[in-house]
Amino acid sequence: MPISTFLGVQTALRGILAQQRALDVTSHNIANANTVGFSRREAVLSPSEPFTTVNGQLGTGVDVEGYRRIRDNFLDVQLRAQTMRSGFYRARQDGLDQIEGSVREPSDSGLGALLGRYWSSWQDVVNAPENIATRQTLAQNAAALADGFQTLSSQLQTVASQANTNIGLTIDEVNSVSTRVAALNGSIILARSAGSEPSDLLDERDVLLDRLNELGNTTTSEAADGSATVQIGGFTTVSGIAATSISALSDLTSLTSGKLAGLKDLRDVTVPGYVTDLDALAGALITATNTQHALGYDLAGTFGTAFFTGTTAADIAVSAGIVADPSLIAAAGAAGAPGDSTNALALAGLRRTALVSGATVDTAYSQLITRLGSDAQETRRQSANTKALADSLEGRRQSVSGVSLDEEMTNLIRYQRGFQASARALTAMDEMIDLLINRTGRVGM
Amino acid sequence: MTDRITNAMLTRTVLADLAGVADRLARTNAKLSSGKELTRPSDDPFAVSRALAYHGDLDANRQYQRNVEEASSWQTVTDTALASVGDLTLRVRELVLQGGTGTVDASGRKAIATEVGQLIEAVKSAGNTQYADRYVFSGSLTLTAPYTPNGADTYFGDTAALKREIGPGVQLDLNVDGSSVIGGGASGLLKTLRDVESHLLAGDTNSLQSGDLAALDTAQDAIGNARAVVGARAGRLDAAQERLSQLEEQTVRLLSETEDADIAKTLVDLSTQQAVYQSALKASAAIIQPSLLDFLR
Repeated sequence: MPISTFLGVQTALRGILAQQRALDVTSHNIANANTVGFSRREAVLSPSEPFTTVNGQLGTGVDVEGYRRIRDNFLDVQLRAQTMRSGFYRARQDGLDQIEGSVREPSDSGLGALLGRYWSSWQDVVNAPENIATRQTLAQNAAALADGFQTLSSQLQTVASQANTNIGLTIDEVNSVSTRVAALNGSIILARSAGSEPSDLLDERDVLLDRLNELGNTTTSEAADGSATVQIGGFTTVSGIAATSISALSDLTSLTSGKLAGLKDLRDVTVPGYVTDLDALAGALITATNTQHALGYDLAGTFGTAFFTGTTAADIAVSAGIVADPSLIAAAGAAGAPGDSTNALALAGLRRTALVSGATVDTAYSQLITRLGSDAQETRRQSANTKALADSLEGRRQSVSGVSLDEEMTNLIRYQRGFQASARALTAMDEMIDLLINRTGRVGM
Repeated sequence: MTDRITNAMLTRTVLADLAGVADRLARTNAKLSSGKELTRPSDDPFAVSRALAYHGDLDANRQYQRNVEEASSWQTVTDTALASVGDLTLRVRELVLQGGTGTVDASGRKAIATEVGQLIEAVKSAGNTQYADRYVFSGSLTLTAPYTPNGADTYFGDTAALKREIGPGVQLDLNVDGSSVIGGGASGLLKTLRDVESHLLAGDTNSLQSGDLAALDTAQDAIGNARAVVGARAGRLDAAQERLSQLEEQTVRLLSETEDADIAKTLVDLSTQQAVYQSALKASAAIIQPSLLDFLR
């Protein structure tokens, strides 16, 4: 079978076109070097269909087989698992940091210092039970302690209610992201059915899926048509081109990780735990103080009334009567004995009495602070660990999918040279054909 | 295939490293400026709980020291009053010896009786001694004067013991009640003194020489005993004071070891971290700048 004279021209043309496409891809990569979530592309070049002759196959140049998106799906899975954990711990850490800020320990203004001042005031009353000024000081320091309890309690409540607000906002974000994923699913299905690889859409969807993983434990599965089915905490938010909104946190029946789980944990477990402890502490102090106070006599010789009002850290206060008239403090153990301070001594002795499940008030408070500290320390450590892991995985993803400008520059030169060489080959062909057409058979002309 | 190093990776790594170094630097700075090793519970939860316990101990200790000081002053005031009652009693004893003999005539005994009458007022006034507006000999009725000057000898206090705490659970009786030393009404020193006065006026030298002298000696013994008790308490308070201040010193040291930053070490840390930060900055400026782009024509 004869071979066309113009075969070489065609081969050179293919070369020129292919190098040009490769240059286009390189240019696209460079342009997107700093685009979030961008996966670098590669023009896949392969030899075009050869020409079979009796002597064997003759190459016909190059074709662009396709444009490949360089991505390692396994890395995505690994990274997302860490992002989930990272989201969980970061949400918890934010809350715990805030609580740590509110307790102000160790310092001279924390509840521990207020407790110390309160107990000391009782001893001062023991030393001078007749003195209205020392009684006044006791009433003031007791009021400061009650304020301290109330402030801490309300700050804990604030953290819980902020977590609650944040849960609402996060659910809104999950819903809006899910809607966008569903919309992208639609475009991807269309593109796939038209036979093209929708790389940019896939990149965009991957960024959204990354984000969803940070918000809740997410499982993603890709269907044959290219659409992604997304489940968050056991709730299917995206299926094909349909997105279903989460209406409440209770929709997520198996929420275990991510920001939402962290916030839920903070709101339902961690903060209520501290509140319970603090309430138990305040409650025990109120009960024990009032019981002992009722056994004593005030300066007028009548039995003591309630020293504290309220039952929890949220509503503890010094009885208004005592603040207004500190002579009502029942320091004496006998009626009409202003110098007697037996009862004040007993009240001061409550400092060393195990009032809160086997511990003194001071010890129980210190245990609460230790627990908070350990929780915060552990969460911070986990948060740092998961972030470091996620960072390193993100690094590996960048290593695979990221744009290296040095590499693109090299490619630029490579394809440019390829283009030039193909053009030179075309020139050679042209000169050869010129020779054949214009200068052959002109002997004697 | 070797790992590709991409531009985004470099930027990320450099940023993360810089943030890490800056974070450590900020923490060291905070330590230095606050002087505290512990600034929040999570810095070291167990050290923080120790620090809280030490703070509590220190509070309690300082309060006990105040209690001890207060009680010591009370003892001093009591002792001074008792000493003067003792002196007055001695003087009365001398007068009894003087007036109990037959050598003094009726007018002389009357003069002596007048002096005894004034000494009785002086004893009562000593019994009304106050410390910080409180009557020290009134038992628990500290706002009531135990004796009425120029009036009946009735004791208006009670016999209750006032207690103070000078250590965890360690209580100490603070007061001496007036009735046990100075007496009142129909018993005690005051009764004896009144007897002396009336015997002098009546010229009953027999009673003066036998019964009254013996009663005065008994009263003198009671005063001596009371002073011994007060002295012993003062000694105990001094010992407690010493022990408490030693404990305070020790607790302050422990607290400081727990929560105070080691300034020398922290300063060394700071300069090391500053050096690291600067070199990190330099390195990042250098690493991001050149690319193949700089070498292509």
